[in-house]
Amino acid sequence: MIEINDVTKSYFIGGNQVNALDGVSLGISEGDFMAVTGPSGSGKSTLLYTLGGLLTPNSGRVTVNESDIYSLDQRLRAKFRRENVGFIFQTFELLPYLTALENVMLPLSIDSVRSSEQENRAYVSLEKVGLDERAEHKPTELSGGEQQRVAVARGLVNEPKILLADEPTGNLDQKTGDGIMGLLSDLNGEGQTIVFVTHDTSRTVMANKVVGMIDGGIITINNRDE
Amino acid sequence: MRTENLVLKNLARRKGRTVLNSIGLILAIAVIVATVTISNSMEIKIGEEVEKYGPNIVVTPDTKSINVPYGSVTVGSSTFDEKELTSLETIPNAVNIRIVSPKLFGQTEYEKSNLLMVGVDAENERLLKVWWEINGEIPEPGSDETLLGSQVFSALGLSIGSSIDLNDRTFMVAGYLSETGSNDDYTVFVPLATAQDMMGLPGKVSVVDIGALCSDCPVEEISKQIMDAIPSIKATPVKQAVETRMMAVEQAATFSLGLASVVLVAGCIGVMNTMVSSVHQRRREIGVFLSLGADDLFVYRIFLFEAVLLGLAGGLLGAGLGVVSSVLLGPLMLSTATSISNVPTYVVPLSLAISVVSCLIASIYPTWRATKIDPVSALKAI
Repeated sequence: MIEINDVTKSYFIGGNQVNALDGVSLGISEGDFMAVTGPSGSGKSTLLYTLGGLLTPNSGRVTVNESDIYSLDQRLRAKFRRENVGFIFQTFELLPYLTALENVMLPLSIDSVRSSEQENRAYVSLEKVGLDERAEHKPTELSGGEQQRVAVARGLVNEPKILLADEPTGNLDQKTGDGIMGLLSDLNGEGQTIVFVTHDTSRTVMANKVVGMIDGGIITINNRDE
Repeated sequence: MRTENLVLKNLARRKGRTVLNSIGLILAIAVIVATVTISNSMEIKIGEEVEKYGPNIVVTPDTKSINVPYGSVTVGSSTFDEKELTSLETIPNAVNIRIVSPKLFGQTEYEKSNLLMVGVDAENERLLKVWWEINGEIPEPGSDETLLGSQVFSALGLSIGSSIDLNDRTFMVAGYLSETGSNDDYTVFVPLATAQDMMGLPGKVSVVDIGALCSDCPVEEISKQIMDAIPSIKATPVKQAVETRMMAVEQAATFSLGLASVVLVAGCIGVMNTMVSSVHQRRREIGVFLSLGADDLFVYRIFLFEAVLLGLAGGLLGAGLGVVSSVLLGPLMLSTATSISNVPTYVVPLSLAISVVSCLIASIYPTWRATKIDPVSALKAI
């Protein structure tokens, strides 16, 4: 479904070139529950955002269903994200002035979906993560785990082909993090393709593929289905 | 949820800060509204006062004959038929004509002295020349009574009620004028019909002074209409006094509007500062929007709609403040009573338009910068 071919991404930090991705190639199939792990600075988040069409690589190709997403112009790439990608962030990134329901409606609002349909779909998405009864609460009225569940609901609401999660349990305690991983595993069980980044190898147990990275390169790909 | 709701909810959480940053814009709009309102009040007041300055249109025969100076205009020896004045009622701005005072000029002799004699409709002449201070009475229409200018009265040593022979006709001095500083001080006024009879010019007049209300219509336009209606005459607008005062008002208004422009620029800088700071504070939020599939058009929509709302709010607050200021401060600063009815109808839409356009202009650069934000670095994801 998604192919990354020889992708390179480098930054200049303090005048020094840092290769965040150094000739990375990887394939993601439909229904995968892929964990990308590695130490801080290994390039795993860069890989995730490059996959999601947010970070243009210096070289190489990222193709989704054989279409090179970085050959699209800015607006078409935004449309690609609206229709194909859901993001979950470590710090949830919910808008504090919106309710849980409105936060979940946001991707649909950006996609100019009719208001009534936005609300129905957002409720369904909140039901999936078990937070439909907290729909009218603002993020500050929710626990960290609940906020991340709202973020998951927001990531799911546009029915993306792939859900990308950047350290989804990074700001949560062990038990709450377990709950979030369980939720992601359940969603994967329903057919949702998920790629998540974690530096905590214990979080990779539910994944069917585990990609290990160091210094911008992939050092291991553990396919547990094989 | 519509994009507009998103903007409203965002503004609602920082309304105090927004109002503070919009003070410059609000003040600029207030100054503009107050200036326009007070200028309008002054123009109305001047229009009303113009009536007190006497005639603002002088009608004379359209002739090439040698003219005689009288006051600020010249009059000819030729005349025209006063019946033609009935056409004044047919001009489009007939309703603006308040006073019509026809006159017939001639010369008379008194004890070997040549005097200027003017046949007038004394009542209308008095209404037109409100500065006249009449001692005694004005002559009755068609009578052999006279009203003397101050210099004639004192030079001839006459008194009210005494007789004076003019062109072998005896007149009674009904009254005399206090000094006016004009040709009137040297003039003998007699009833118009009497003058026409004495000069053998029945129904003829030399000149007609017209007092027109011209606060809401140009006196030049009325003059033109009169000449169109009565081709045999020439109507001359007397604009000097009005124009001098109007020029003063216009200069004051121009100065105030110039000041308002400076304040408006400062206000725009304030709005730009608000928007730049809004973009900076909302970098992560913009990063979220972009990661969720927003494109540059969505970002433009969000920030420019915010600018429109700021403009509308600033325009309304500024217009309100301007109206209140003009009503409260107008009488104190400019001795011009101003009421809400003096606010021209176009002021509120105009101030809203200026405010909205200013906000949009001030927001273009910050919004453009917002569209250039790198979502990944905004989210500090890497």
